[in-house]
Amino acid sequence: MGLKILSRAFKYFIIFCILAFHMGFWGCAPAYLSPSPPTQPPETPQVEIFGETDETPEEAPEKPSPRALAALQLTEQGRMFLEKNQPDDAIGILERALNLNPGNGRNYYYLAEAWLMKGNIGQAMEFNRLAEVYLKDDSEWLHRVIGQRGRIKAHEQ
Amino acid sequence: MKKKKRSINTTPRRLLKWCLSAIALVVVVILLYCGYLSIQIEERFSGRRWSIPSKVFSDTTILYPGQKTNRTLFNEKLRRLGYREVAHKPVNKGELNTRPSLIELYLHDFNDPSRHREGIPIQIKFAENQIESITDLNSGQPLLILELEPEEVMLFYGPNRERRQLVSINQIPQHLITAVLAIEDRRFYTHMGLDPKGMIRAMYANLRQASIRQGGSTITQQLAKNYFLTPKRTIIRKIKELFMSLIIELMYEKNEILEIYLNEIYLGQKASEAITGFGEASYFYFGKPVNELSLVEAATLAGLIRGPNLYSPYINIDRCKKRRNIVLNAMYEMEGITEEELKMALPLPVEAIGYASYGKKAPYFMDYLSDQLNLLYSHQDLSSLGLSIYTTLDTQVQLAAERALKKGLTLLEKSTPGLDRTDPQKKMQGAVIVMQPKTGYVLAMVGGRDYSLSQYNRITQAQRQPGSAFKPFVYLSGLDKFTPASILSNESKTYEIDGKEWTPHNYSLMIEERVRLRDALAASINLATVDLAMQVGIDHILRTAGIFGFSTPLKPYPSIALGAFEVIPLELARAYCPFAADGVLPYPLALKQVLDEDGSIMEQRHMSIKQVTTPEKAFIMSSLLKSVVENGTASSLKKMGITFPVAGKTGTTNDYRDAWFVGYTPDILALIWVGFDDGASIYASGATAALPIWADLMNALPQYVSGYWFKMPQGVVQLDVCSESGLLAVKGACPFPIKEYFLADHVPEAECRVHTGENQIERIFDGVKDFIKSF
Repeated sequence: MGLKILSRAFKYFIIFCILAFHMGFWGCAPAYLSPSPPTQPPETPQVEIFGETDETPEEAPEKPSPRALAALQLTEQGRMFLEKNQPDDAIGILERALNLNPGNGRNYYYLAEAWLMKGNIGQAMEFNRLAEVYLKDDSEWLHRVIGQRGRIKAHEQ
Repeated sequence: MKKKKRSINTTPRRLLKWCLSAIALVVVVILLYCGYLSIQIEERFSGRRWSIPSKVFSDTTILYPGQKTNRTLFNEKLRRLGYREVAHKPVNKGELNTRPSLIELYLHDFNDPSRHREGIPIQIKFAENQIESITDLNSGQPLLILELEPEEVMLFYGPNRERRQLVSINQIPQHLITAVLAIEDRRFYTHMGLDPKGMIRAMYANLRQASIRQGGSTITQQLAKNYFLTPKRTIIRKIKELFMSLIIELMYEKNEILEIYLNEIYLGQKASEAITGFGEASYFYFGKPVNELSLVEAATLAGLIRGPNLYSPYINIDRCKKRRNIVLNAMYEMEGITEEELKMALPLPVEAIGYASYGKKAPYFMDYLSDQLNLLYSHQDLSSLGLSIYTTLDTQVQLAAERALKKGLTLLEKSTPGLDRTDPQKKMQGAVIVMQPKTGYVLAMVGGRDYSLSQYNRITQAQRQPGSAFKPFVYLSGLDKFTPASILSNESKTYEIDGKEWTPHNYSLMIEERVRLRDALAASINLATVDLAMQVGIDHILRTAGIFGFSTPLKPYPSIALGAFEVIPLELARAYCPFAADGVLPYPLALKQVLDEDGSIMEQRHMSIKQVTTPEKAFIMSSLLKSVVENGTASSLKKMGITFPVAGKTGTTNDYRDAWFVGYTPDILALIWVGFDDGASIYASGATAALPIWADLMNALPQYVSGYWFKMPQGVVQLDVCSESGLLAVKGACPFPIKEYFLADHVPEAECRVHTGENQIERIFDGVKDFIKSF
């Protein structure tokens, strides 16, 4: 009889342990109601490199998209206006390039150059900062951006 | 006797004296009068001869291979730019040949102060609704980019509502001059302003035909009549006309007189606008500059002088052709053309380009622009100086916005009959603004449902409560303390404002007492948002609103978190731009450039920006607002054909007075508002009333949809966190880990304690307790 009771108590203990473990580990039943779990796969950041999107930054496409190519034509026109010392014309074209391909950091660099040419230090600084945001991964261009910042600051003084 | 004799001798002398005196007086009077007239003429001709209305132009249109297009809107655009459909390969500027998978068009010349593009024939091939290639048909070379010229959108008229494009005598082709002289004044180069021979010839011809076929007035007389005199036919006016003609001939060269005449003559009517001068008429009837007119086209225009509306090809093509052939015969008679040319020309049909008598284009945008122009120029200058005003307007976007709004409101009225008011002045209203977030270009603006009924611009003048559309600024304010994974309280609380109690409620019943910050914004949960606002501080939110450009007064009440104050829709749209523009707030730009008559720049405006938040926070906000569209209040966008990544926020105010949706991609941002002017309920939320309009608009603008998303800045990291605790997820322990973005300098450092460590033991004890309790 005693053995029977002991055996039953042991059985209950085992069940209790399993249940307690189960509730403690898996239940996660909080004292409050939890936020609903995600209903879809977690968001993966997309990157834009020369107008192309890709799942991973490392696998940047080699060939620019037609949109980026079109924008580059405008960027080039803008650069040529800058060479001719026509900052207003350059800005007009570069703004259009920017609308077409907002991810091309060179547009911001040239816009900063144009505003510097016009003597508007505030705008030059804003565009220089944006150029840095977009050209951070391009060491050659980043070097230019930093140099440009130095020139802007020198002009300011 | 003597007396009588003296009187006989003196009377004729006296009479002679009197007569001579009278003649001398008349001569003096005439000379004085002529002097007076010559001063008048000198004054009129030496100064500005005409008032030329200033023209407002849209922005240029950029095309490139690979670009998606809305063929319907694109074809309409080409028509409005004056390209005319021909059945053959285009050989003249302005000709267009449309086929299902390609179009060929001969481009117009394109000039702006810094660039000139000669018109060339090009071919655009389409693969479905995408531009496959653009080819220069002259060289056979593919083009990577093509810019279509700006479109004329509006004219600033003076009181006469005249359209005129000035042309110099050197621009006018010889066959047009010949045609005009042949039909109006053959001896123009030989007479002195009056042509008695011509008058007799005209009288004879008219008597022979028993109708008025020819006029006796010379070109100089017509000019004097048009320029200085009233149309009233009196002898005094006729005498004045003769004097003036003689004076004009004495004062000016023949070619000068002819040039003034060709620019002055009335040549037709386009709705309420008068077409004056051959420069304008050439575009109106044949869609080309005057120097490109063919012989028959020149003869047609010359034929219009006698009766522009009688002989207009738009009114009676047969009568127009008969009149044209009279001109051609007259040209042949005065040996202006050969017999061969005459024979070739006579049977040719009259082919006018046709025109659409359209109403005011983009009227609310134009009012917005006019407000800015009026700060720079007087109305008198705008209606007379012939300025060219270039804007940021995209007419394709404008049309799509107008159509989407109209359709959306009509559908809403049909679905909810109580909304369909009969009084047109009291009908439900809506407003749309479309901007490019990086540059602040205003692409389109629809300030109301029907401009003819209400000129009140609900984008720039209205002040409405934004409701939940303001919440992003609360969440942005919280990003220094909180993360997208932070847990907010969703419990009902009562707040005290100015001694009064205020208890916010959720839009719909929710049982969750705690929600993640991302979910709170996605589902637009009021209680959690107010909880966040109170923890962040109302003053901080007010500062954010100020930095983001809201100019309306905001009071430091907790209800600000729910958008319970008024904003100007334009400012709300602008305030969303930094999220799409690396944290940069642009100035809304509508006016780009003003050029004078000679094409010199008078005013130039560029995008103007200032940083209002960091690129990192802007990215995180875009990510949070993307959740609104993916699984929040705007998730129905997917069913409306929006398959590309979009960030946005709905807004609904108390009693459904206002419905909003502000949505954006890296390329374009659009705000939609729907409501009644009198504040009545529309019985629909932002997701029901405004969202479908946004979707309809974007579906009509594939050229603005790149499908790209924002690049993650270096100052943002992505980590796995526990969806329940918002802390770093413990692998194997947390049942629902999620990936979440964090500012690199503000990441959760602690691991989830809900599913690990002490909590785990506590949970076991809790489980034991519960088990025991069950017995």
